[in-house]
Amino acid sequence: MFFEFSFLLIFIIIIGFYMAWNIGANDLANSMASAVGAKAVTLHTAVILGGIMAFVGAVFVGSNVTETVKNGIVDPNAIKNSEFLLYGAIAALLGASFWITLATWKELPISTTHSIVGGMVGFGVVAGGVKVVNWFKLGSIALSWVISPILGAIIAYFIFKFILILILRRKKPLPAVKNIGPLLIALTALIVSSSIFFKTPAGNKLGFGIEYLILLTIIISVLSGVIGRIIIARYIHKFKSIKRKTEKEQYQIVEGIFKRLQLMTSCYIAFALGANDVANAVGPMATAFSVELTGSVGTEVEIPIYLLILGGIGIIIGMLTWGYKVIKTIGTKITELTNTRGFSIDFGAATSVLLASKAGMPVSTTHAVVGAVIGVGLARGLEAVDLRIIKKIVITWLVTVPIAALTTAGIFVVLCCVL
Amino acid sequence: MEDKHIRTPILQTLRKSPFAKLQEHFKYVKTGTFALEEAVDHYLNKDYKTFKQYVEKIDKYEQKADWIKGNIRNHLPKFIFLPISKADFLSLLKELDGMLDSAKDVTVLMDMRNTEVPEDVKHEFHILIQKVMETVNAIGEVMDMFKIILETSFGGKIRQEIKKMIHEIHKLEHQSDVIEKKISKHLFNIKDIDPISVLHLLKIVERLGYIPDHAENASDKIRAMLAR
Repeated sequence: MFFEFSFLLIFIIIIGFYMAWNIGANDLANSMASAVGAKAVTLHTAVILGGIMAFVGAVFVGSNVTETVKNGIVDPNAIKNSEFLLYGAIAALLGASFWITLATWKELPISTTHSIVGGMVGFGVVAGGVKVVNWFKLGSIALSWVISPILGAIIAYFIFKFILILILRRKKPLPAVKNIGPLLIALTALIVSSSIFFKTPAGNKLGFGIEYLILLTIIISVLSGVIGRIIIARYIHKFKSIKRKTEKEQYQIVEGIFKRLQLMTSCYIAFALGANDVANAVGPMATAFSVELTGSVGTEVEIPIYLLILGGIGIIIGMLTWGYKVIKTIGTKITELTNTRGFSIDFGAATSVLLASKAGMPVSTTHAVVGAVIGVGLARGLEAVDLRIIKKIVITWLVTVPIAALTTAGIFVVLCCVL
Repeated sequence: MEDKHIRTPILQTLRKSPFAKLQEHFKYVKTGTFALEEAVDHYLNKDYKTFKQYVEKIDKYEQKADWIKGNIRNHLPKFIFLPISKADFLSLLKELDGMLDSAKDVTVLMDMRNTEVPEDVKHEFHILIQKVMETVNAIGEVMDMFKIILETSFGGKIRQEIKKMIHEIHKLEHQSDVIEKKISKHLFNIKDIDPISVLHLLKIVERLGYIPDHAENASDKIRAMLAR
């Protein structure tokens, strides 16, 4: 019995790792696309920085969403046989992996997150009947899939309009960017640091009261703003020799500043992706582990930190191996994206994903990025946006859950017969 | 193929900008219409051999511009979302293309029958060509600024500058209209000239006048884009 379970554990680690690899290879690479396309980061920087930031996001903020995928959709207490939970976790991971591999091969814009949720549903229905699945929870997750791209679009739209009105359309864009740029930096720092400190294991370990945590995030945010202002002022100072700058030169300097700011937002988006997407790989793994180690699954099981680290490493390796290629392809083909646009897209998408993540909603990072692109397009920021992608995403979105559910159900039945 | 079997939905969302192609198209329009000045010079100097070379040159430019025009149109299906009205964009393209078309028509007409331009009309002919070239220059400046206005999403200081230039183009168009009428009147009043020559020259002058007309229409389309 011990040997058999150990074998199963190794097996689930391998598939979970493959899932994490997939997230790094496709989703992380896609979310870094706008930064590479706008030439804010080089290929190598994107790969290394993206990998590290996704890892940090996965390990420090990841546990929130992991809970939802693990316990929210399927009620583990309703399934009598705890072995079923183990098989189910394996089946869900296998089913989702299979569908993702197929979709990647067919170049469909599917979401890793949606597949794993579908897998969980499929397993739940077969193992414990329709009643086991928390349909209300599933409904709210599905709703978050619609809301997160729309929210990404709205945030990107307003942040871009903000940049337009307060910087680009000013008579003197350079003094304006000196004031507004640090504000954007401080805002990003505020969102990221509060997401790290509030309701996370890292925040709890600090042992501070909530009022100190608020103070801490404000200090971090103000400090980043001040440092940002110094860096921006220095950058502008470099162009002092050009006495009367033409419009074109002024915009080039502004874009140059946003190029540096995009370094920050591309870290932000990788961080948000890690926080949100690591659950896809780690959720089922955590279920399997707690069945294995404690014999049953309670509703309140802490996700072991080593699983989050494992997921983070998987994402890094995915980025290093295949994501490299994906970024290279995207980066060379997106040529018309300027840095102010790239910044707005990254900021909108990352904020939307991070907010959903904090609310415990597993959403698709890639879809949030697409939403943000459309948002900037609606703000008249992009020269040509292909709206067909919306249709494609909606279609794959509608089929992903049923297909992943059916595949998982099949695998689950086979597993139960064989083992 | 490097890009096989990977998911790239963001890449699919961002399409190639038609504005870059519009600039490419305009490059041909500009060089083609500018070549008209020298072509007419050679024609007035009765150097029909060199003139013929210019006819062919402008024809080549016109063909290239036409090809790009078709390409732009083919790549603007319904689901492509632009920051401006697609109808305005396509009419701008059409009017710019019309400038080069008219320039080509002028050279073709001149090539059909090498009618000698009467000595006392020559000076006015030169002035008309000058005005036409000034208009082309002005619309060229607007098109240059168009690149920058995309950066600010049709706002900011540059907006006023473009509007000023558009106003200038309207003025130039009116001036060339006046000269055109003056030449026509002059041609009708020349005593010993055969009617076919008059008809031919009138047609040439009329076609020359089409170039500022198209430039004016193009500038109006740009103004419509700014107004949205």
